Order: sequence, then C-alpha cells, then structure tokens
Amino acid sequence: MSAARCRFAFFLPLALTIIWAAAAQAKSITIDDSASQALEPSVSMHWQTAAPSRSGRGNLMVGTTTIRVRINVMPWLRHAGRIYLSLPAQQPGPITLSWVTQGRFLPGQVQSGNRVLVYAGPITTPFMEDTLTFQFTLDGSVMRRAVPVSYHFEMDGER
Amino acid sequence: MRLSASTLRPALAGAVLLAACSDAALAYTATLTAAAPQMIYLQVGNGTFTGGNYTPIQGNGQPTGTPGNNATINKVSTNLTLAAVGNGTPQAMTTDSTATQSFWDGYTYCSVPAQLYIGGFYRTAGGNTAAAQVTATVPAALIDTTGDTLPFSKISWTSSGNGDFGGEPFPAGTFVSGGVQTVGSMASNTWNESCWTFSYLNNTVPKSGVYSGTVVYTMSTP
Repeated sequence: MSAARCRFAFFLPLALTIIWAAAAQAKSITIDDSASQALEPSVSMHWQTAAPSRSGRGNLMVGTTTIRVRINVMPWLRHAGRIYLSLPAQQPGPITLSWVTQGRFLPGQVQSGNRVLVYAGPITTPFMEDTLTFQFTLDGSVMRRAVPVSYHFEMDGER
Repeated sequence: MRLSASTLRPALAGAVLLAACSDAALAYTATLTAAAPQMIYLQVGNGTFTGGNYTPIQGNGQPTGTPGNNATINKVSTNLTLAAVGNGTPQAMTTDSTATQSFWDGYTYCSVPAQLYIGGFYRTAGGNTAAAQVTATVPAALIDTTGDTLPFSKISWTSSGNGDFGGEPFPAGTFVSGGVQTVGSMASNTWNESCWTFSYLNNTVPKSGVYSGTVVYTMSTP
C-alpha cells in the first residue's frame, strides 16, 4: 500500500464519524406553542383575483390570520438553537404559507411538505414571542369545504 | 437509582409514546373557509368596469378594475331599402353598443358597429367544473306600432373575435320564435367572450314599419 492510499484509509473513517455525530445532534423537536393565541377563529379565503384568467389557470384563494406566537423554549435555554416553521404535506393539496413578523422571528414563505428557518441563535429566554400575520394560498378548486391546515414550530438544537 | 433492563424498557416505551402524543398536540390548526366563493359577471353590449380593465394585476394581487352594473340596453338594427326588402339577401345588422375592448386586458376584441360584445366569467370554488349557461329569452316576434309581426327566427348571428382561435364560448345561432334558448356557456373560472355579428334573413316581404323586440340574456350557474 502506498503512503497516499494509507492516508485515505485513515481519513475516511474519521470523516464518517464526524458526519454521523452532526446528524445525531440535529434532532427536530416540536416546540410547545400552547401559549400562542389566534386572533381570528378561522381564516376567510378570498379569490386572489376576482375575475379568472382567459386560460382558466391561476385560480388561487388567499386568506390571512394573525397569531400572537408564544413558544416555550425553556428546554433549550442558554443553548444555541435553530427554529423552523414547518408546514407538513397535507390534504387537500399544495398550500403556500407566508408570514410577516414584528421582528423577533424572520418573515418567510413555505410550501407544504417543507420547513423554513425563522430563528437562529442563542436561546436566552424561556419563551419567545412575536405577532405573526400568516397568509394561506391554495387552489380554489380544492376548497370544497372548510379546510383545516396544521403547521408548527420545531427546534433543531441541543438540550 | 439503578434501573434494571426490565424496568428500562417500559420507561423508554413510555417516553416514545409521550413524544408522539406531544407532537400531535403541538401544532396550529387554521381552518380555511371560502368566503364569497361564487361570483358571476355577464356583459352583453356595453358593460362597466370601474378603475380600469381587469388586468394588469396590481402588486397586492388585486385587479386594477372591478366589475360593475350597467343598465344600458343596446340595440341591434338594420334599415332595408324598398328594393332590398324580401330579396333573399341577408341584411347585416349593426349595433349601438360601443363595447370594443375586452375588460380583461383592454384588447380590442370586437368591431363596432358590426359586432356586439358578449362575455363574462363564473367563479366557483371547490372544483365544480360544470359550466354556467347563458340563455336568451326571446319573444315570438318583432312587432311594429300597428301590430304587424316578424318572427324572431329571421335573425341569426355569427361569432368571432379579433385574433381569435378555437371554439367560441358563445357560438353562432338563430333566434327561436318565442322561448328560452341557450346561446353559450362559461366554463368555471375562465374568462369567456365572443363578438356577435347579427343579420336579418330577409326572405319575406312584411308590411313597412319599424319592427322591434327585446331579448333578455340570463346567466345561470350550476
């Protein structure tokens, strides 16, 4: 075995070990948001554009709601953490969720089946609070009846 | 405390179960409800959009113009010379409608006075793809001041539009003499429009006079 091949054999197990360790630490845990408060009981969905297109495409409905978000990050206090807003894939079909914030969290947009970072940094208080205005967008053709849409905050971090 | 293997297993199972229950409880559930999911707009002849045409869509996602009501009853008419009456040559009819542009985008779609604009849309949520129907309620005849009549079936129309291709949502036709007839349909969530060119069949010799009648167009959603 040459010297070069010998070095490769040494570094490969080491690299694998490091990757495994990083993956093990990046656990996603749903954050307790039971102290949050929705300002509207339901979201009224309106046509994004009152009249349709000539092609029949682009029949989106949009609706907004405001939530006073108060999430319990006590388990991660005095640690660094990354908080995501997760919108799982769900019925009745593809959903887009966008939001604006008062500054504590990052504004953003997420498609169902994905998550987006809303905070990265040290966790210095037991609770994190912000007022978020959410806008839901989905195809009006799937709005046969009232549609429940679930989403949550989750933490990647050490406890 | 030191746990034996047998006590550790139930404890772990309990933790897993707790985590699963916890995840299920910790989520926002917003209930999305369609508000005003159905809207209709029908324009025959002159129509009204306030604030401009429908497009371009503004930065906030809203259209530029908004559909409005227009009570105008437009006329379609023709004058026949004595020599032409009943000679079998169809006579082109013209309209007093000034609607040439589509309120969708301002495109000059119809030519006046030769063509009458007809268009609109049917908005519905929930994947109901059945089309809205447009019908004409037609009197039995056009009547002059002395009670002479001309059957409405003497009037026909062709359908087209500037730059058009494919089938017309409001196709060519001929009036029935008294009754309700379907003159077109609007696929849901689609802007539909056509331009009608009317003609008088002119194959009979009625008494001289001014014959008139009113056709009422109605849009019905499924």
